[in-house]
This record gives sequence, C-alpha cells and structure tokens, in this order.
Amino acid sequence: MFKLPSVLLVAALTSGSALAASEFGRPATQTEIAGWDIDIRPDGMGLPVGGGTAEQGEPLYEAKCAMCHGSFGEGVDRWPVLAGGEDSLMEDKPEKTVGSYWPYASTLWDYIHRAMPYPQPQSLTDDEVYKITAYVLYLNDLVDYDFELNQDTFAQVEMPNEASFFVDDRPDVQNTRCFENCADPEALQVVGTIGGVSPTAHFKEDSGVAASHYGDSPAESEEVTAVSLSADALAGEATYQQACMACHGAGIAGAPKVGDKAAWAPRIETGLATMVKHAIEGYQGDKGYMPPKGGYTNLSDEAVAQAVSFMSESSQ
Amino acid sequence: MKSMYEPGTQALMEAVAQEASQLKGSDRRDFLKKGLAVAAGVTAGAAAPALAKGNPADMAPNLPSWTKQLGRGVVARPYGRPSDFTDLQRRTVPWLTASPESSISFSPLQDLKGIITPSGLHFERYHGGIPEIPPESFQLMVHGLVERPLIFSLEDLQRMPSVTEIRFIECPANGGMEWKGAQMEALQFTHGMISCSEWTGVRLSTLLDYVGVKPEGKWILAEGSDAAGMSRSIPIEKALDDALICYAQNGEPLRPEQGFPVRLMNPGWEGNTSVKWLRRLEVGDKPWYHREETSKYTDLMPDGRSRKFTFVQEANSVVTNPCPENPIRQKGFIEIEGLAWSGRGSIKAVDLSFDGGVTWRKAELKGLVLPKALTRFSYKTQWNGEPWMIQSRAMDDTGYVQPTLAQLREERGTNSIYHKNSIHTWNVHANGEVHNVQIT
Repeated sequence: MFKLPSVLLVAALTSGSALAASEFGRPATQTEIAGWDIDIRPDGMGLPVGGGTAEQGEPLYEAKCAMCHGSFGEGVDRWPVLAGGEDSLMEDKPEKTVGSYWPYASTLWDYIHRAMPYPQPQSLTDDEVYKITAYVLYLNDLVDYDFELNQDTFAQVEMPNEASFFVDDRPDVQNTRCFENCADPEALQVVGTIGGVSPTAHFKEDSGVAASHYGDSPAESEEVTAVSLSADALAGEATYQQACMACHGAGIAGAPKVGDKAAWAPRIETGLATMVKHAIEGYQGDKGYMPPKGGYTNLSDEAVAQAVSFMSESSQ
Repeated sequence: MKSMYEPGTQALMEAVAQEASQLKGSDRRDFLKKGLAVAAGVTAGAAAPALAKGNPADMAPNLPSWTKQLGRGVVARPYGRPSDFTDLQRRTVPWLTASPESSISFSPLQDLKGIITPSGLHFERYHGGIPEIPPESFQLMVHGLVERPLIFSLEDLQRMPSVTEIRFIECPANGGMEWKGAQMEALQFTHGMISCSEWTGVRLSTLLDYVGVKPEGKWILAEGSDAAGMSRSIPIEKALDDALICYAQNGEPLRPEQGFPVRLMNPGWEGNTSVKWLRRLEVGDKPWYHREETSKYTDLMPDGRSRKFTFVQEANSVVTNPCPENPIRQKGFIEIEGLAWSGRGSIKAVDLSFDGGVTWRKAELKGLVLPKALTRFSYKTQWNGEPWMIQSRAMDDTGYVQPTLAQLREERGTNSIYHKNSIHTWNVHANGEVHNVQIT
C-alpha cells in the first residue's frame, strides 16, 4: 500500500491552494519570445533595426496595398481610407485616416507588420514594413518622399491628432428614474427608419434572399449560378467564397470579376492549366498582382484549381 | 389511416421532407417553402391554406404519422442539433464591411428565451477570419515584466484552479448604426451584437500571480494568433480583478468562432478586449496604442477630440417581445419581455413606457439576476389595438440609469460609432406591426 511520509502529508494539507512554482507551464526561451514578440509601442519599444524611404515604398504599396486602399490611400469600395480627411473630425462625415486621426506612427508600423497585406499577414520583411509605412505617411504629407524612416528617425514623425485623445471619463450622461410627466407629449418627435438600407428581406416571406447571403446582389448571384457548371467548378465554389471572392467578387486589384466575360475571355484562352498555374504560383498582371493562392497558402493545389474552374466557368 | 393527399403527392412531400433534412438554415427554409408550394399545386387548391398551419392528416382526430412509426434511435446524431422545424440563425448586414473575414454577425435575440445564448448563435466578430487551431499546438506565452516568462499548454491551463461564470459579451458598436437615425427594421440588427454564455477558465490574476508581475508592470498586451493578430492593451487593475482565461463556453470547449481553444474574457468590457485565439500576454509599463485602441474603438466627440480606452459597456436594455420580427398577433394578453445588462454590475430595475417616455411603470426581473450578465425582464398586460411607443429603461446597482437618445446625442454628437446605449423605441401599430423609430 502506498503511504505518504507524514511530513509530506502535513505540507500538502497546509499549502492549501498555493500553486507550486514549477507545476504549470515551462520557461519561455529568448528565441521563442523573439519569434512571437512583434509588438511596437509609441516610444519605439520593439522597433527592429532596418529602414526605408517613401520612394522605396511606392512600388511595394502599389503592388501589395493599392488594390484595396487605392493609389492615393483613398480606399476602394469599403476598404479603409488611409489618407486625407484633414480638419474633417468635426464635420458631418468625418474622415478618420492615418493623417487626420491616428495618434501614433508606431501603430502603423505595428499594424502593417502584424496584419497586412490582408490576405498575407506577417509576410513582409522589416525593411518592407518601414518602406510601406514611410509611403503611407508620405501620402498623408507627414514625411518627405526621400525621408528615411528607421528605428532612430521614427521619433521625428509628428502626428497632428496626437493631443486630441483623452481617457474615458464616462459616465458622462445622467438620467433619472422619472415615472410621471417625464416628457412633454406635445413636443415628442417620432422619426422612422431611413428607407432602403435595412436588410429586412431576411424576414419577409418569399423575398428570395438567403439570410446569410453576403456580398453581391441576389441578381448577380443568380446570374453566376444560372451557368451550368462542371463537377470541379461546383466543388470549387466554397473555396471561391472563402478565399477568392474578396478580390474576384468585386473585381478589385485588377482581379477579373466573376461574371465579367470580357475580362475572363483572354485568360480562358490561355487554358485552364495556365490559369491554375498562375493562381497557385502567383502572377504579376498588367493591372495587379495575384499572390500565390490569393494569400491562402494553406489551400491545396486541387482546391485552388477547382476554384479557378468555378470562376472561369461562371464567366463565359 | 387515409391520407387526404393523392398517393403521388404524399410521396412527393416525403421526398421534400427527406431532402430538406439534409439542408441547413435558410437553404432548408427556402427549400421547404418551394417544396410545399409544389405539393400544394399538385393537389386541389383547397389544401394550400391548411398546409400553411399544419397538416390536418397529422392533427386530431387523426393520428399523426410520427405516432404510428418509430423515430430515430440514440446517437443517430452523436452531437445533436436543433429541430429541422426551427430556423434560428445569426445574420449579417452585408454592406457594413468590405469582406466576410473581417465582419460581424448578429445573434437572433428575437428568437431566444432566458439569458443564455446557444453557443452556435453567439454573435461573431473577426478581423481576419476564424483560425482552426489544433489544441496540441496551442501555446500561451506570458512574458515581459514578469519574474518567470512561461509558456502554458492547454493542459496546463485546464489543470489550474478554475472558475465558471455567466457573463455577456457585447461589441461596443452594438446599436452604432443608429447614431444618426433609425435604420434597422429588426431587433437582430439594432441590438444583436450581444450574447451571454457560461464561461469557464482560469482567472488571469491566478496566472499572473504564478508568473510574478514586477512592480512596474501596469498594462498587459493581449494578442491573438489569428490573421489579424488582434491586440489590445489591458490595464493591470482589470487583469487582477475579474478577467478570465477561458477554454469552455456553455459546458463544452469554446467554439472556433469564440476563440478555440483559448480566449481572454474581460467581463463587462467592450467585446474587442476579450481577445480570441489568445497566444500571448506581455506585461509592460505603458499601453501599446495598437490599431484597435486608436484608429478603431475610440469615440469621436463633437469637439473633434476622442475618448480612448472606453472599456466599460454601460447599462442598456431592449424590448424583445414585441419587436419588428415579433409583431403582436392578437389582441388581449401579452407578456412584454426584454433584456437588460450592465458592464458595471447587476441590473437593479427596468422600467417600461408605452407612450414614448412620458409615463413609466416598473417591470419585473425574471429568472437569474447576475452581474455583467443578460437579465430578462417581463411585464404582463393587455393590448387592444392601441398604438404603443414602447421603451425600456435599465438601472444598474451603481445607480446609473440608461440615458435617452437626446441626452447621449447632446453629449456625444452622432459620430462616436461606439457605446450607443440609449433608450430604444418600438412603435406598435394598430395592426400589431412593430417598427423601429427614434423619439427626439
């Protein structure tokens, strides 16, 4: 029979809920921490050695950012506007951009590095991040075209809106628990909904709009599915929706829009194998850059090929 | 028993039912609708109205088909799912965002009872899609201003002392589409960015105590491993108060949508701070001012300045019955119901107005009343076709009373996007329809 030495037993009972020092987790090595510790702070903490100018950032921005954010940072569709909006914060429709709103330039470096380009996060080198950051600052007239942004010059960048932020001071509004004569019934103004923006079709019988529908209008979707598709193409629809639709659904970044026969015809002429090869390996076209597998590198080659079939067959 | 349908129609209906059972959600609903329309067309026209309310062949005095045959056995569905005859679903507003990987869906509050949101209906908010993380590869790194930088496995976390609490999570943009005017004709879209679950995990204070925070450690960066690398700076006071490192929701592992295998949970605070797919906690002496606490999740005021670190979700409430999706279907008795919540503590009282805020009366709180959790309220009354302007007004245990829209707009203007918790108005028409209106 297993028997605890009495001294250990006493120790176990008296230690209560205290957790022994080595019981949980294991030490994180410096190498492990370095691999994950990517955050940058306004005081420069975390900025790696490296650098680049706006001039060097321009071609990178055009290839990797402009498809969504626009060549001048003006934003495409509903993708974020990056530049402009000076003095707009008190207007009816404020334009909150890097230049007009963001308090710190370090945020830009940190965010581009951690989350951009949208379909390929954490794919940029540190120097590329410096260059693109410099270019976005340049688009906002915050640095010169030839300004070398690096870990030492970062502190020289002044953000116009930095002083406008203040720490939460709510509760800012005091209501009381009134029960009688709480408002003047004659003075009440009742305003209904603004027409045409609420997707109420979700709740109407026979509206024909699926509740989870996302993206193009129903008419366009019907046009796509009206084409008779091969088994491969049908299998590729889910991949298309997950990985390709962001660009190919709207036709941004020079991506041929699904359903646009004129845009697809010359591509279809090159043959399915070529289209699939470009989709898998990446392709620099006249109007934009197709990243390998659209940035979804975890997709199998087969899934990509099926998605290409879906898009091309839906566009002829 | 003799079917009222032609044999051919009966077979067709069975085929429709069989096929529909393979489908999900809206597809199933649409399919059933079409299938039934076809079936109705095949038989005499008189059958159609009856079909809409139930199949007379299955209703008294007839014995229904399911009484005269065996149903499914155990484990036919090892993980059960809702009845095929229900249709509860999260929905999105397509024009809100540029792409579905960085978007939001809304919980169907109009269809839910009690205070717990079924896990599959919890509202969703991602900034870079849902990662699928094998739990054996999960690591939580805790480092920075700590005595012992450590990496925890999921198993480590699950062996540590745990707590279980019912708490809501609300996106601070809930209601934010209505700062400038009423525009959503659905409760799901006016208030559906809130859900409430039972969460289980380790107190962050337990974890921090274990690694040993250095005296100069005042802030913690919480970072996700998703494609957005979601990151927020959390003050050490919150971390040592009630923050949780969660691995379970409503009794089972977190759903992928909710951060499987591990998320941070900051009770009562804006949902974005409860970082999902958590991979790293770094203790520092200052906040990081990352994108989601500068460019986003800051509140622009009419004078051009902006509030930052607007963490707490102030007291809020809404009537869920009636609402645009739940019109009043007949005169007579009606139980007005709704939900109230406060990020500062417990709901103390909810009042109702039927005349747009001129007079108010007290509603009852129904069921569990827990801090930082959805709380259900009820008021039993009669409706006889008179137009109503229904409003609810919550008060929490700090004494804070939910403000009017006019009060909020006067202080904050209409461009602050987040934290719109004003009293909401439903206009009940004489025919029982319910519309979203604003009273100014």
